[in-house]
Amino acid sequence: MKFSSDIVIGLEIHVELDTKTKLFCGCKRRTTEEPNTNVCPICLGHPGTRPVLNKKALASALKLCLALDCDLSKELIFSRKSYFYPDMSKNFQITQFEKPLGSKGKLQLKKGKIVNLTRIHIEEDPAALIYPKGMKGSSYILIDYNRAGNPLVEIVTEPELTSPAEAREFLNQLVSILTYLKIFDINTCTIKADVNVSIKEGNYQRVEIKNISGFKELEKALTYEVTRQKTLLRRGLKVKMETRGWNEAGKTTISLRTKETEADYGYIIEPDLSTIDITDELIEVMQKEIPELAQQKSERFVKEYKLDKVDAQVMAMELELADLFEKVAEKIDPKLAARWLRKELLRVLNYNKKTIREIKFDEKEIIELLSLMQTKTISETTAQRIMEKLMSEKFSPKEYVKKEGLIQVSSESEIRELCRRVIKEQEKAVKDYLAGEEKSFHYLVGQVMKLTKGKANPILTDKVMREELKTAK
Amino acid sequence: MKIDKELIEKVSKLAKLKLDESEKEKYSKDFKEILGAFAILDKMDVKSVKSSFRPIEEKDILRDDKVRESITQKEALKFTKHQEKGFFVGPKTIE
Amino acid sequence: MLKEHIKKVKSGEIKLTEYVKEVLDKCKSINKELSYFNTICKKEALEQAKEVEEKIKSKKAGKLAGLIITVKDNLCVRDVESTAGSRILKGYKPLFDATAIERLRKEDAIIIGKTSCDAFGFGSFNTNVGLDFEIPKNHQDIERVTGGSSGGSAGITAVADFVHVAIAESTGGSIESPASFCGVIGFCPTYGRVSRSGLISYANSLDKIGVMTKKVKDIAPVLEIISGFDEKDSTSLKHKINLKSDVKKLKIGIIKESLGKGIEPEVKKAILKIIEKLRKKGFICEEVSLPITFKYGVPTYYLISTSEASTNLACLSGLRYGQEEDPKGKSFAEYFSEVRSKHFNDESKRRIMLGTFARMAGYRDAYYIKATKIRTKIIEEYKKLFEKYDVLISPTMPVVAPKISEVKKMTPLQNYMMDILTVGPNLTGMPHATISAGDKEGLPIGLMATTDHQEEGKLLQFLEIIEGLQ
Repeated sequence: MKFSSDIVIGLEIHVELDTKTKLFCGCKRRTTEEPNTNVCPICLGHPGTRPVLNKKALASALKLCLALDCDLSKELIFSRKSYFYPDMSKNFQITQFEKPLGSKGKLQLKKGKIVNLTRIHIEEDPAALIYPKGMKGSSYILIDYNRAGNPLVEIVTEPELTSPAEAREFLNQLVSILTYLKIFDINTCTIKADVNVSIKEGNYQRVEIKNISGFKELEKALTYEVTRQKTLLRRGLKVKMETRGWNEAGKTTISLRTKETEADYGYIIEPDLSTIDITDELIEVMQKEIPELAQQKSERFVKEYKLDKVDAQVMAMELELADLFEKVAEKIDPKLAARWLRKELLRVLNYNKKTIREIKFDEKEIIELLSLMQTKTISETTAQRIMEKLMSEKFSPKEYVKKEGLIQVSSESEIRELCRRVIKEQEKAVKDYLAGEEKSFHYLVGQVMKLTKGKANPILTDKVMREELKTAK
Repeated sequence: MKIDKELIEKVSKLAKLKLDESEKEKYSKDFKEILGAFAILDKMDVKSVKSSFRPIEEKDILRDDKVRESITQKEALKFTKHQEKGFFVGPKTIE
Repeated sequence: MLKEHIKKVKSGEIKLTEYVKEVLDKCKSINKELSYFNTICKKEALEQAKEVEEKIKSKKAGKLAGLIITVKDNLCVRDVESTAGSRILKGYKPLFDATAIERLRKEDAIIIGKTSCDAFGFGSFNTNVGLDFEIPKNHQDIERVTGGSSGGSAGITAVADFVHVAIAESTGGSIESPASFCGVIGFCPTYGRVSRSGLISYANSLDKIGVMTKKVKDIAPVLEIISGFDEKDSTSLKHKINLKSDVKKLKIGIIKESLGKGIEPEVKKAILKIIEKLRKKGFICEEVSLPITFKYGVPTYYLISTSEASTNLACLSGLRYGQEEDPKGKSFAEYFSEVRSKHFNDESKRRIMLGTFARMAGYRDAYYIKATKIRTKIIEEYKKLFEKYDVLISPTMPVVAPKISEVKKMTPLQNYMMDILTVGPNLTGMPHATISAGDKEGLPIGLMATTDHQEEGKLLQFLEIIEGLQ
């Protein structure tokens, strides 16, 4: 295969679908704290048990394939992938080998690059393994089958990603689509990736890193691995084609096992599952259930609300944010709404390590807050502070402003008086400013803010201060 | 295709069966005889034939996404004495 | 026989608990001699009998009240040891009933024991019993086999002097072979007719649960109860079983390849005698041919069944249930191999390896895939004949019951070739049955009849005709 970029990355992503039950049995999908409490003879692989396919998992997978523009196979057929491992309750995994549900899909990144998807298919999750004395020091393992049989969708990309950051962005876009389709709940569903990474200097010798959880870890692991490969080559050593694991604690990749022989999975068709016809009627029904996705929404925001492209993309990324924005934009200037939600709401969410789903307020509070800003009743600083407070409790910004007396000081005469006072009191700063130090100007403005407890209209204060300082010479 | 001890070893490894030398000889002999007779299949041309993975087909059987009773942890673990704090104890996965 | 018995139970003429106690004692002594049972569930059977007696008093008893049932040991019976005849599952008592068993219980049948079989169904003579298990003996001559793999089912059906139906299972001929060798009726319905939920799988696309009885009349009442769609088995048929048929004159096809070389002359003679009687009664009996089935059937069957079986048996590796060792300190490859090698018998190992090989990369197309394509051709071949004929007949087995010592001398391939007459309907999943056609010096000979998919009614009709001839 011919490559041109310096770094070549391919992803194999496993997404847990948001269903009530497992893929092939009626056990609850959500795991509980206690091990082996969400299990039954089917997911424990007891003799005589047989799988029965979860309708919702099929529907979710179909919607995903449609949203990612895949070619669909005409029949849904499952295979048994045989390999012995303690996390496999049957020592084979029911997956799709011969004909994946979707193939030749596409996902578009923010800047427009289209990443091609090789295949999308449905399979079951193995059990969870715990190493009682760490990965390297345990003489035995502990197995919890709560997860065994959970419904997964596997998405395989062509090796077309060219940097760790791009890989992370791909995942972000994917999660946006998954949440839009309502087939994935970030609170209860896991998303894991295996990655293939190779570099030009290493003649594109591929290394696989397995089982990375979380996007930050993905970027870290990829970055580490690229560095590791470059270092090896610089030393005159070769990059071995192997499988490595990401050690989150040590922030390194460790060799799992060099593939002595290619694993032979001895695929047969799963004889216990019935063939499902993927008919045109079924596809039509699924298609109707797909909402406007982020891409289209973002384009619509640009058109309808005249937002700039970047603001529109950010607003459209998460369904909850997009809905919030549109509700706010009904009453507030959309551009202000977008700017505020993008800068201030996201800032405050990040700081508190919360997601938009965890906020206690809704559009009512934002609308109140922004109308106070629009009418210049409060300063931006005050608004920011109110935003921060809203993260811990729900309250009416209008009433709060009244109660705390936070109305902006916007009378020019008042401001002028305060400026004059500050100029009088801060002799040194004034001297420094007149000598050319711009920093001191900000200090002086800051002093006015201090006196007014942040309520002074910043733009007006700026203007008046400059005027007064001119005459102060 | 050579049917010899090497093949038997490869297959037994995949099947997780530990065979001693006499077993390897025995199964090697059996394979030779059986696959020799089964070679008659080469005579039939089925290139354009579709596979029958089941003799009679019932299609589109699906299950509603409804929770069904699970078994208790006790019931799950009752068949083994190798358990610890509610987990199954298993062999090492990392050398 | 069955209907009269149930009447007597429901009327109180038969005191059920006493009756069951007697039956259990009889089975105990039969077993000492003939080894038909892996487990006789005395406690459970008596408990059941008591419960049913109460239901009889309140007139709430089911359709099969008091019917004695034995169950092949590869069907799960809740809390009763279910080993599939293998040592690796010794001590395993399932948490649930197979659906067929559940349905029988609901109608108040009494399950008295689990019958002997070749481990996992791997055998045609019931000589491939698991390690530490006994080989069941033919009641006509204890040096001879019962046939397999449902040998215990056939044996107990033959010797029981109480009303009884055996629940058995066939993958490649496991109902027909023993029923034929023991001189009883073995009935195997269409694939999917009876739910396989709770059947410890040999080969998922070939396994079928069926029954063995002494009288044709006793088949339908049991089949009706155990058959029908089960949401736990995605391959179970939705269409309800049709047990009635009144075709004016069934058209019969005689499979010519089944009466040629390799068939014992006495067997051939017995079948020809029946054909003569049928012709005298005005039935059209014409020679037909199944060339693909007879040329490629056995390899096709073994490649598909072992491919599936080798994956089915993978879960038996000393984790979660079944025989185990101490896993601590061992690698998983080491541990799994240890347990499996210790407890699987010779034939289990052989078939696991054959099946693993057949689906290996590089061999898969020539073996597993090719076999599934030939299967299509075999089904086509049968379907074509059923356009013209209602029933196809042949001997069930090429021989009468061989000596146990003779079987032990056979090579694996020679063993497999004995399925030549039964693999056809098993591969096609068509209903088929065996019924007594005479004997050779006391050793039973069986006639096998096959009908098209879902034509159990026609098959029963035909069996009644044959039964009436004797």
